[in-house]
Amino acid sequence: MHKRVHDIICRCEEITEREIRGAIRQFNLRTADEVKRLTRAGMGLCQGRTCALLVEKIISEETNRKVSEIFPSSTRPPVRPIKIEFLAKKEEKES
Amino acid sequence: MNRIADVVVVGGGIIGCSVAYYLAKKGVKVIVIEKKKGLSFGASGANQGGCALQLFHPPILELARPSLEIYRNLSQEIGYDVDYENTGSLVCSVDEEQYPDMQKHVEKKRRQGINVQLIEGDRLRELEPTLGGDVVAGVEEQEGGIMNPFKVNYGFAYAARKLGTEFFLSREVKKIERDKNRITSVVTDREKIGTNFVVNAAGAWASQIGKMVGISIPVRPRRGQIIVTERLPLNKRWRYILDADYLTTAFDLAAVEKSEDPRIRLGVAGSYVQENTGNWTIGSSRDFADYTTRVTMQTIRYLAKRAARFMPKLKSVNSIRLFAGLRPFCYVDGLPILSRLNSPRNFVIATGHAGEGVTLAPITGKLISELITEKTTSISIDAFAFSRFKGLN
Ligand SMILES: Cc1cc2nc3c(=O)[nH]c(=O)nc-3n(C[C@H](O)[C@H](O)[C@H](O)COP(=O)(O)OP(=O)(O)OC[C@H]3O[C@@H](n4cnc5c(N)ncnc54)[C@H](O)[C@@H]3O)c2cc1C
Ligand code: FES
Repeated sequence: MHKRVHDIICRCEEITEREIRGAIRQFNLRTADEVKRLTRAGMGLCQGRTCALLVEKIISEETNRKVSEIFPSSTRPPVRPIKIEFLAKKEEKES
Repeated sequence: MNRIADVVVVGGGIIGCSVAYYLAKKGVKVIVIEKKKGLSFGASGANQGGCALQLFHPPILELARPSLEIYRNLSQEIGYDVDYENTGSLVCSVDEEQYPDMQKHVEKKRRQGINVQLIEGDRLRELEPTLGGDVVAGVEEQEGGIMNPFKVNYGFAYAARKLGTEFFLSREVKKIERDKNRITSVVTDREKIGTNFVVNAAGAWASQIGKMVGISIPVRPRRGQIIVTERLPLNKRWRYILDADYLTTAFDLAAVEKSEDPRIRLGVAGSYVQENTGNWTIGSSRDFADYTTRVTMQTIRYLAKRAARFMPKLKSVNSIRLFAGLRPFCYVDGLPILSRLNSPRNFVIATGHAGEGVTLAPITGKLISELITEKTTSISIDAFAFSRFKGLN
């Protein structure tokens, strides 16, 4: 299926509004975390900084709830991309 | 509000949802209770989704084989693509001294009927140029594969729901009521559900459910941490690569605990999976830290360092997420517990899958459904009986 640019909600992963609505309906999703895991919307390099609000708005429409009722999806560290090389050298923070 | 079910499944992870699906397929009325807002927020949503068949030993191997068999057609069966791919696996070593162990591993696997071959370092790099110069040899196996664990979890739930299973989310099981021999109902923070059977599929939390019926289930959370990278072009030959140290860290708890090497004590041995999207997940680690799912920089550092030795190309790649999950680990023998109790006689345990629960989910669901509806199972599960913990209960 050809994806039209203006339908794309998550630009990093190229996920369309239709894919997101489809997954919410098929699996009765209620959280942004679940949408992220199943459709990959929010899993891209920007970690949802660009698309998270749009995804939450879609969930709120589909589930008839206010956006404020929907838990924000968990941003798992690192919030900004870090090179593996750098992680390998990272200073000990815990004992 | 009071409700009625034939079977109440506690836990909406990959095991609970598989059990629900296979029961529903037999016409059983199931209610799945999950304390989180959605499914797959436990170990099932925090793993690498791989099955390297060569890492399985009897008796678990006897379950892994038929489970893989189910995976081959699972997407078709449940009407949803779970991204299963028959990638095979490569276990390799960066330590000359491990060479004899690798040879022994090959012999053992062949005796178990798994087709493996030992490949020398130079030849490995010809076949897979991403492998580092430190890699001395590797063992390839072609039956294993990878799958998307979220999709398996939600796929089973989707298929079960179509067959009438109900999912009660954001409900925590608080109490289990019983008469002398049987459970009569399950009480959550919102309702009471009368039921003929209870299946405990609460993963790392299974011992808490056990307590509610007065038994001690020897399962505790064994934490694993993961680094996820950005996308890379797909590897040519192997997308599931493991460090030979894994044979120790995953299966020999005593050796891990008395090791001199701080990395081994944290259970760090490389497990690298490249998803069909191109992202790599870099594991694995194993430690006990109660129920915390925090990542620790010490473990992440070892994981990253080790990964860079096996696949130097990963050094300049960005990690985009770090996370940890809790494996349901049986601290007596590391084996799953698939069992129906004598008392209460309608209590069934399906947990303890440790680092193999994604692989074993389909066969677990199938066998537990047989245990409940037919009283006997198509594959023997005697090795996984609860009665093996005699001294404990
Ligand atoms: C880092 C890591 C990597 C792994 N890699 C692999 C791999 O490559 N291949 C593989 O096969 N396996 C792998 N595993 C193992 C696999 O993830 C687990 O064995 C499997 O997910 C266990 O599934 P489960 O359904 O038993 O547990 P969980 O997914 O943890 O589900 C248990 C559920 O029960 C719920 N619950 C608990 N208490 C209650 C209560 N009182 N009331 C209601 N609900 C409750 C929890 O919220 C949870 O959702 C890995 C695990 C980890 C941590
Ligand atoms: S736009 Fe969705 S993750 Fe970047």
